[in-house]
Amino acid sequence: MSGGTLKKNLPGLLQASLNPWLVRIKDHPERLAFILHRVTGVIIILYLMAHVYVTNTPTRAGWEAWTQVMAQFGNNIWNKIGEWIIAGCVIFHGLNGIRLLLVEFFGIGVGRPVHPKPPYRPVSLYAGQRLMLLIVFGLAVIGWVWAGLIIFG
Amino acid sequence: MSLVEGGIPTPPEKVIFKIKRFDPEKQEFYWKEYEIETFRGMTVLDALLKIKEEQDSSLAFRYSCRMGVCGSCGMVINGMPRLACQTQVGAIATEGNPVVTVEPLYNYPPIRDLFTDFTSFFEKHKSVKPYLIRKDPQETETGDAEFAMTPEEYEDIYQFSLCISCGVCYAACPVAAMDPLYLGPQALAYAWRYVSDVRDEGYEERLKIIDTEHGCHRCHFAASCSAVCPKVVDPAMAIQKLRSTLYKKKLGAWKKKTSKKVGPYHYEGPSRAKKVPQLTEALLPGVDLEAKIKEPVNIDIELK
Repeated sequence: MSGGTLKKNLPGLLQASLNPWLVRIKDHPERLAFILHRVTGVIIILYLMAHVYVTNTPTRAGWEAWTQVMAQFGNNIWNKIGEWIIAGCVIFHGLNGIRLLLVEFFGIGVGRPVHPKPPYRPVSLYAGQRLMLLIVFGLAVIGWVWAGLIIFG
Repeated sequence: MSLVEGGIPTPPEKVIFKIKRFDPEKQEFYWKEYEIETFRGMTVLDALLKIKEEQDSSLAFRYSCRMGVCGSCGMVINGMPRLACQTQVGAIATEGNPVVTVEPLYNYPPIRDLFTDFTSFFEKHKSVKPYLIRKDPQETETGDAEFAMTPEEYEDIYQFSLCISCGVCYAACPVAAMDPLYLGPQALAYAWRYVSDVRDEGYEERLKIIDTEHGCHRCHFAASCSAVCPKVVDPAMAIQKLRSTLYKKKLGAWKKKTSKKVGPYHYEGPSRAKKVPQLTEALLPGVDLEAKIKEPVNIDIELK
């Protein structure tokens, strides 16, 4: 993307990737799910890179360094909070990923074309995928709390 | 959706309009405020016209039909992309917060004030070949009957054919914001409208255009296009259907839905052209038709 194009697209980029509430649409959790999916994806990628870096400590600095690093991580409260955030990201990203696979690859849960009638609600917003999304949100919250109990308990 | 369920309340007597304007000479945006008196049933487009008439004639915006048919007046009103002519001031401005913000549509290059450049939008629209393609192009010219469809087949395409090309879906789409080459909800909905049409035979080439990095595979189902569409076209559904169709087609599990009744050459029912007999005899008894034709026309007109 060239500089000019980037400048022209910047409001859209900000709106799309940073602030999900810039476009204010009522009763529209799909967009929140889209933003969360993207943000959690980025967090997971960053975590995986750090994870690979840390787990190859033995090859870089030997097994003694590895034990040292592990001992450091075990008792750190910030590390636990970080782990909890990663757990939440993975749970949501995974569950929402299943929903997106069903919707996008198999076309499940988007309904059938209908003759629009008042109050003019688009079918795909109240068909099966909306129920799936609510289940995903519910399960993600439950899973996150559970992960917290395991990590901090 | 720009329609509001139930009654729409009367707007506050005075409403402040905050308008994001674009200066083409300086190439920058600036905000300007206008306070106007409202009336019951006033739309945002009415308000903009009133501002243009009474306060600032330099305000530029696009509009035409004033009744949600032409799709010219798409704007971002109070943070949501919608048609100005279908948005009641009373539905968005309240006594506690009598402010309406109006911005040009996102994801389009601005030209001036609320004007945005739709060139690429219509280029994308054209690129998906939004018309019926028949293997025999002469068929539409020389056929002696209509292309027949059953009501069920018609219902499959009707919803998507309602699109008025207002471009509101592009403004709401987060993917269109990031990828300027993305075909976008409007073009893809049109593509699905013709792919699912039983009369169409050009689906092979149409699917080839769509099956790209910037085609339907770019969509990530934020479904904002459907949520803002003023005509309930539901482009999100169309894109998911296109995509699953493509996968099924690649696995060999998809067959184009065709109608047995399609095409004037294959149509064997009663033809309207044959049904109406040619007039060969006089309808009134005792009148010679040929002599009547040769007779000069005589109409009594008194010229004063």
